[in-house]
Amino acid sequence: MFWILRFIASHRAAFSYILTALLSLWMISSGPVHQAKIARGLTISVFYPFHLALSLSSHVKNIFAENKRLRSEVAALTMRLSRIEEEAAENQRLRQLLDIVETYPYDLVPARVVLREPSNLFRSVVIDAGKKHGISSFMPVIGTKGVAGKVIQVLPGISQVQLLQDPSARTSVMLKENRTVGILETENGREYFVRFRPHVNCAQGDTVLTSGKGGIFPSGLNVGVIKGFKEDTDPLFKRAYIDPFVDFGHLENVFVLRLSPRWSAFRTQVDSIQFENR
Amino acid sequence: MKRIFEWTALFLVAFLLQGTIVHAIRIGSIVPDLVVVVLFFLSMKHGAVLGIYVGFLIGLGQDLYSPSILGQNALAKSTVGIFVGLFNDRVMRTDPLLKVVLLFAAFLIHDSVFFGAQLLKNGHELAPLLKELTVRTLPRALYSSAFAALFFFWDTYFKPTFRT
Repeated sequence: MFWILRFIASHRAAFSYILTALLSLWMISSGPVHQAKIARGLTISVFYPFHLALSLSSHVKNIFAENKRLRSEVAALTMRLSRIEEEAAENQRLRQLLDIVETYPYDLVPARVVLREPSNLFRSVVIDAGKKHGISSFMPVIGTKGVAGKVIQVLPGISQVQLLQDPSARTSVMLKENRTVGILETENGREYFVRFRPHVNCAQGDTVLTSGKGGIFPSGLNVGVIKGFKEDTDPLFKRAYIDPFVDFGHLENVFVLRLSPRWSAFRTQVDSIQFENR
Repeated sequence: MKRIFEWTALFLVAFLLQGTIVHAIRIGSIVPDLVVVVLFFLSMKHGAVLGIYVGFLIGLGQDLYSPSILGQNALAKSTVGIFVGLFNDRVMRTDPLLKVVLLFAAFLIHDSVFFGAQLLKNGHELAPLLKELTVRTLPRALYSSAFAALFFFWDTYFKPTFRT
């Protein structure tokens, strides 16, 4: 018995080759089902670590590929979502504009704000409606919720609008409740106030409308609500601070009221008088 | 233990390169077979017994993860292992040129056994397999031998030796 082992040990190369060759030939000659069984057995025993590493590496590779795909998908969906949100917001704005067109009995020219004065406190904006749309200077401009300003300069395709924020802007307004007239002013473009006599009966929350006395804005357009009172530098007046309806920071769509200033006819007559005097 | 890790790493690198960048240096459709080259080095260094078993396992692994007949590569590579192991460095000191010739012969034996197994299993005609041996095996053996020759010559003539 011992000599057999010694014989094998001394011819181990030959025996090893015979062993592996026989195993190989057995695998080669076996049928497909049997081969599949052997392969499965080898995969889960001898080659399990290798198989595991291979499947892990392919899994990692898949994770990377999936991560890349998901990233690009997230980017695409984010872009799509922001576009949908933008469209929804525009849809809402347009609905509001449609309501305005139906509400106001004026000839309205819709326009979009295309440019803002490049300062922190913009006091004028440029809209994409001009002379060829029938716009002329001093036409009132309203936003979706109320008065925004007036046209001060007109070019063929665009117009410049002076907003209520401009400290040089003055608008004749009145209280909705008791029709008391005053002038809407601002000193810094952030706080709007109207000077009233101290005895005028007004309270916080009262609505302020255009009075129609200034000649530019027709009466009854929304301007804002009184949010508080302060003493004026002139003791004969008190200041009613107004919260405007229009959000000037988010002004995008406006309407120009195609109305000529009511004092233009008067001015023509005055000019002709001056001309006659000369 | 260290040697086992070294050779395992070498085989892994060979597999990795074979599947990736080796195709960048192909001539026509002929690429050098790095796995056989590494097996040749192993058998040359450590003898026939190790060459047979490692060749068998490597071949079996290739059979499992490639569309070949199970046992086909195992038989071919264990045959390469015993053939090269007969000329290993412990038995005789061969010069680089002879090693290149041996490697070329190892490739021929490998592919002959590989196609022989195919013939045995599927009963193909001999003529297409002989054509395959001529058209594919010879250029591949030449290319791989030339590729390995660089290492042999570097190992013999240019490898730095450190003496204390």
